[in-house]
Order: sequence, then structure tokens, then C-alpha cells
Amino acid sequence: MRRAWAAFTVLVLAAACRGRSEAPSARADVARSGTPLSSSTPTRDAAAESTPVAVDGGTLQRRLLGEPTSLNAVLQTSLPEAQVLQYVQRNLFDFDAALGLVPGLAASMQVSPDGREYVVTLRPEAVWEDGKPVTAADAVFTIRKIADPGIPAPVFQSLYDGLERVEALDIRRFRTVFREAYAFREMAFVMPVLPAHRFEGRDFRKAPDNRAPLSSGPYRVAAWKSGESVELARNPAYWGPRGHFDRIVLRIAPDNTTAYRMLLAGDLDEDQMDATLKARAESEPRFSDCCRLVEFYTLDWSYVALNNRSPFFEDARVRRALTMLSDRAAAARDLYRGSARVISGPWAPDSPAYDASLPPLPFDPAAAKALLAEAGWRDSDGDGTLDRDGRKFAFDLTVPAGFETGRQVSEMLAAELAHAGVTARVRTLEWAAFIERVDAGEFEAASLAWSAVDPNPDPYPYWHSSQCPPHGLNNGCYRNPEADRLMEEARRELDPSKRTALFHRLQRIFRDDAPAIFLVNSTQKFGFDRAVRGVTTSPLGLSGIWPGPVGWFMQPTPRASNAHGLVQRRPA
Amino acid sequence: MIRYVLRRLVLAIPTLFGIVVIVFVLVHLAPGTPVSGGGEALRRPTGRAAEELRRLYGLDRPIPERFGAWVSRAVRFDLGESFVDRRPVGERIREALPHTLLLNGVALILALVIAVPLGVVAGGHPEGALDRVSGVALFALYSTPTFWMALLLQSLFSVQLGWLPLYGVASDPAPSGLAGLVDRLAHVALPATCLAYGTLAFVARLVRSGIAETREADYVLAARARGASRRRALWTHAFPNAILPLLTLFGLLLPALLSGSVIVERIFAWPGLGRLFFDSILARDYPVILGLSLLSAVATLGATLVSDIASAAADPRVRDGTAT
Repeated sequence: MRRAWAAFTVLVLAAACRGRSEAPSARADVARSGTPLSSSTPTRDAAAESTPVAVDGGTLQRRLLGEPTSLNAVLQTSLPEAQVLQYVQRNLFDFDAALGLVPGLAASMQVSPDGREYVVTLRPEAVWEDGKPVTAADAVFTIRKIADPGIPAPVFQSLYDGLERVEALDIRRFRTVFREAYAFREMAFVMPVLPAHRFEGRDFRKAPDNRAPLSSGPYRVAAWKSGESVELARNPAYWGPRGHFDRIVLRIAPDNTTAYRMLLAGDLDEDQMDATLKARAESEPRFSDCCRLVEFYTLDWSYVALNNRSPFFEDARVRRALTMLSDRAAAARDLYRGSARVISGPWAPDSPAYDASLPPLPFDPAAAKALLAEAGWRDSDGDGTLDRDGRKFAFDLTVPAGFETGRQVSEMLAAELAHAGVTARVRTLEWAAFIERVDAGEFEAASLAWSAVDPNPDPYPYWHSSQCPPHGLNNGCYRNPEADRLMEEARRELDPSKRTALFHRLQRIFRDDAPAIFLVNSTQKFGFDRAVRGVTTSPLGLSGIWPGPVGWFMQPTPRASNAHGLVQRRPA
Repeated sequence: MIRYVLRRLVLAIPTLFGIVVIVFVLVHLAPGTPVSGGGEALRRPTGRAAEELRRLYGLDRPIPERFGAWVSRAVRFDLGESFVDRRPVGERIREALPHTLLLNGVALILALVIAVPLGVVAGGHPEGALDRVSGVALFALYSTPTFWMALLLQSLFSVQLGWLPLYGVASDPAPSGLAGLVDRLAHVALPATCLAYGTLAFVARLVRSGIAETREADYVLAARARGASRRRALWTHAFPNAILPLLTLFGLLLPALLSGSVIVERIFAWPGLGRLFFDSILARDYPVILGLSLLSAVATLGATLVSDIASAAADPRVRDGTAT
């Protein structure tokens, strides 16, 4: 699955969180995950439900899809960095498994009545690996680096777009002032803090800490073998509750099949799988002997972007017809093998912005053809392809290479459209070339998927008419004055329930206007060694939440039977 | 002879320059930019941040200016810094190079050790049983896709039999001394086999046809007439002559030592140059792509030069340019 740029929804306890301090462990324990799957796809995490008392010790072996680029938390760009850094660098605040904010390095946060000023107080006990305290000066240094346009900090930069100033008030407190209030501003503080003293007089982008960061978390980097693995050991100076494992090895295994075999061989305790390997795992006794499946829905969702500026898609009736020609339920059943749900708007069902009571547009080819005819698309020359004013209804549907499910869904859609006299030519483009065109708005239709980095549901950057290419992310340049107004209102609305009502109204407009063909929300699938316990899933995935993987542990003794009645393998 | 070598060396410079220009232009003309990041990016910089990044990478300047800057650094053996992690390109290449050299070196030796005797024996009896069987077998081998063979070998030797390790360059933790060496060899066995079999098939058929031709040559018949045994005629008289085209081929095989295999390195989680090259292309990490291209261009030119000089040393006609 492509990790596209995304940022979506959810229940931010915007107002509720302010100024409240909570013990992270208490919060996280309550929040055993996100969303149970529907009865047709039962959750495979039964073993984790009956979690025994946590045990300390042992080595955890996790999979990295690729080499981390930099272990400077501000410079991180992709999942491997996030997976390593989660153990090494604490954030000011974190999302818990229910997507609420929980304190990390920070103890509390106060917001001014106008919603522009945030005063964050750090925990007095928080220290770096070298024993020096984590100070407000460190936080101010980090925020200034993030906001510095000369520093490539893509994961955090947009969170500080409206930053006016940031200043330390004393050793533990700092104030951040933004130019305007924003409903999801708190999420800006789900950010790491770097030790300012380690970067003094050094080029920020090349400091030695970028390879061997000074830890503020439960583990520190013990070794980094380029292209092979990153090894973590306990940080003896850590100020919070100890992690359970003595040692964590993150192995770089780019190939899915090899990683699956490594899991079976005991060289990995955790492995993210695709739908094909999941099906294989379900049928192989070798898998069930050692391992179990953990599958859950995230905030990720897929769609076919339509260029609303193209003569084919400027009419909402045509866009709606295309959605209705697409048998999304069949795609969920056959291509995603049941691990997907059809969506009716630009959020995943687990986002609080999403209105589950609003059904998606139906699969109804007859009604779709009527809509197309109403919009003037008819087969006037009898060649089987619709036309209007001498123009054939034929367009390119671009798919990024390597996004296999996206390609299959696109082929299926093209076949369905062909029955209605619409020609979609599926074209594959290498990722960098693909995304360059999409960003520039130079495409007709494109298969895309969003991965949620945070639960921010704000649709403004992606669907507001002011955000059309080349400078915004509204790739298809969707324009609707009513939707614009609701989006503007929602990002200013500080009351969560009123905001949700606005999102629900927006969702109805998105569904009926069909700025894109909204497809499905699908699951993430992991294979786990049976001995690994305490696994918490969340709509953000396994990582990206606190304590997340830091709360995992190894059940050291094999038991005669477990939840599945199978013999457990002793961990290596 | 010295004049010949000097002339070839001087001629190599414009060739190298030409290669570098072409690679540089192709890389920069390819769609996509380093700013769009790899497909795995969590968030991509957009708008002003993207423009700042372009400026930071120097992508706002015209291509000729960028090229000039790159060349002036490259001649001082400075390949610049990776866009991805800001480390020197030379350092990143040095990390991956030993792994690729080991893998490809073992693969090449493996291929030659099997291919040469097989080719000689098969060529000794053209259309014999061994020649026919090995011909079909080698053709099948040559046509087998690497990724399929890799998964098959893993499945058999690592998963079913458990004889050889599944992935990586060494065990973790790696044993020391002799056990360490055995461990390294066990790890290299499967990926090297995957890389070797294609070359093996190719070289074996080449040797075979060389032998099949020369065994009928007058000097071989003369040797037989003087009473040399069949085996002696084949190995001492036919083989050295049949091997000449192989020496030229060697000039083409050697640079392959430095060019990693993307597929094999990926499947066996082998941290070599192939993976580095592939990842760099996906991320549009121009400095690393250029550094690796330069390395491979130098290796190719160097190996061609060596094999040409060897031919010149052996054959005066090559030296004075009278060879046809």
C-alpha cells in the first residue's frame, strides 16, 4: 500500500483535552482498540484479548519495510523512521488507541480563550539519555526548526503553518502563538522534542545525532547496520515506566514473501502482510502453529480522483454516474477478499467525522446510464462509446506502479464503465512521475489511497476550492460554494459535536456531488508470533499511538493451550 | 605498447564524460523530483515547503550550472551528499560495495568453475548425449526468471530442508573465526546461485561452441597426429584458443561485479548496491544515482581497457590497428 500524504479525522477531544493531565498508561489501557471488524471478518486478535500480566525480558524482532533515512525526528519522512523513533523519542503529546491526546514529555497544555495561544508545561522528571533535563528551550528549538522553511520537515511542517511566535516562559513552560484559532490545533503538539544542546554549532541536517539520536524514550539506538537492521537497548536514564523487552531488533526486509518466511522461521515476531499472504497464512498449518493474524480497520481509504476541470467530469451528474457504475461491494468482496468496507465520503468509517447512517451511492448501472444521458452523453454514432458534441467519452485512468489493489480495482472499474459505453484506459506510472502529475492537476482520473498519519479529519486542504493545483492538494479541483462554506466553518468550530454535525452535512454533499469515486476503507493485516502479547491496534495502525508497540511483551512460557487450542512455540 | 595504452587512456576520458552527460541529463529530465519523495513518504512537502526544498537541493538552478557544479566536485572525488539522508554519497556506496562485491564475486567464480569444464566436455563431443542434454538444460536455466528461482531456492533449502539461511549477509549475532566464515558462505550461497546460473548457462554455451570449432582446427588435428591424447589435445591445444573470446567477454562480465541485482538483493534482504540504486531512483536521489552510474561507467571502461590491452599484448595486429 502506498503511503500517500494524508491526514485525517477523528475525535479529537479538542476542548476536552486542554489543560488536563493524564497518566498515559491509564489512558492507553482502557483503549484497547479501535474498531472490531464486522462479524463476517472476525478479528484475529483473540489471543491479545486475554492478555495476561505483562512480563519483562526477551528480544522483540520487528520488520522494517526499508532503511530509515534519518533518526532525527524532525527530518523523518517515512514509516521506518517512525517505527524506530517511537521507542527512542517521546513526543510532547501522543494519540492513544482511541485517538485521544495523552501527555508525553508534556504534562499539560493551556489554551487562551481566543484559541491562538498555547502554553505547554513539560514534565519535571523528563530527562535525556545523558541526564540533562528536557527543557522548554529544547521544545522551542524544535518548533523553530520545524517551522524553518529551509529544513525539510514534511511530517510536521504543515502543522505549524500559521505560527506567529514561540518562546520559552521558564525552564519547563513555553508559549506558542498562532495567527488564528484552528479546531485541530492541538495535533500540532503531537511532535517530538530534540535536545538543543546536541545541535549547537552543528549543521542541523548533518549532525551525528541524526544517526545516533540522544534518547528521551524507553530505548536507545544500540546499533544501526546499514541496510540490515536497527538494534535498540534499554535507555537506563528513562524517566517513565520501563519497556518490557530487553532488546528490540528491527530488521529491514523489503520483500513481503521473504518477510513472511522470516516470521515462520522465528526471525521476525511481527510482519505486515498483504491480502495474498494473509490468504496463504489462513490456509497454512505452519502459520497457525507459530503465529496468529491481527487484522483491523484503519483510517486509510481509497478513491479514484476525477479531474473536475476536465470536460468529462465537470458535471456532478456524470461523476455520480461513474460512482454508480462501480460495483464497490464486489471489489470489497473479491479484490480485498472481504477486508474492506464501502465508504460514502472522504473519511474512513472510524473517523468521528464519518456519518455511518449515510449509505454510499448504490451500484445501479441503469440509473447511471440515465444520468449520463441527462448530462448529454449518448451513443449518437452507434459505435458503442458515448459521445457529446463530437467528443468520445474516453479518458486515462492513471495508477501508480506497485499499488496492486489499486490497479485491480481500476481494471474492474474500466470493465464496468465499458458496459455503459465509457472508455477508461488504465495506465500505470512510476510513483514519483505519477504523483508529480497528480499534484499539478494534470490527469483525468487517478487511483489513489490515503494513509492516515494523524486523525485530523479537516477536509479543507483536500477539497476546498482555494486549494486547487498547482499549490494545493485539492488535486481534482473540486469546487462547491456550499461545501467551501461548511469546510471553513468546521475548521473554526471549537465545539466537537457542532463540528461533527457540519462534517455530516459535508459528507452528504460529497456523496451526492461525487468529486471523486469514493471506494473503500480496508484493513491492515499483521502476522504475530503467538508469544507476543499486549498488542494494541488502532485506526492509526500499530505505530503512531502511545504506548502502542512499547506496551508489547513476550509471554515466556509455552502453555498447553491458548485461545485457539494450539500449542505455543517458545520464543527464540 | 605504451603508446597504445596511453592512447586508449586518453580516449577513455571523452567516453566517460559522454556517459556522465547522458546519465545526468536523463536523470534530470525524468518525470518526478526528489521533492515528491519515495512512495512511502508519510507526508509530502507541498506549496512553499516544496519550493524551499527545491532551492535547498539546488533544483531551481539551470541544468548546465548544476552539471558544472557536480563535475567540478566529482573530479576532486567528491560525489556530494545524498538528498535522502544528507550523508556523503561515497560513504553510502562504501557501505554497500563490499556486500555486492562478495555476492557477485562468489557468483562469478561459481559460474566459471562449473561453466568452463562443462563447456569443454560438451564441446569435445558436439551432438553427443552430454552436449544435447546440457544444451537443453542450460537453455532452460538461462530462461528461468531470477525471482522465481530465488523463491524456489528459499522454499527448498531454507524453509523445507532448513540447510541454508533465508536472508541477510550473516547471522545475528555473527559467530567469529572459522564459524563466522562458514556462516558468511552459507548466507551467500543462495543469492549467489541465483546470480550465477544465468551467467553459467551463457558462458558454458560460449565455451562449448569455441571448443566445438577449434577441435577441428589443423593444429589440434596435428597434435592428435603427433600422438597427443584426446584429452590432451582438447585441454592443451583447443582450449587456450577457444578461451580467447571468453577473455573479451570477461571485460563485460567484470563490471557486473559492481552492479548489484535489484531483485536478488531485495528477496534475500541483501544490503548491496542494487538495492541502493533502486531506492535512490525511486526517491530521485540524484547525487547517489550519479555516483553509482559513475562507478559503473568507470568499471566498464576500466575492464574494457584491461581486456583490450590484454588482447593487444597477445596480438600485434590489435596494437597497430590492423586487426579486422
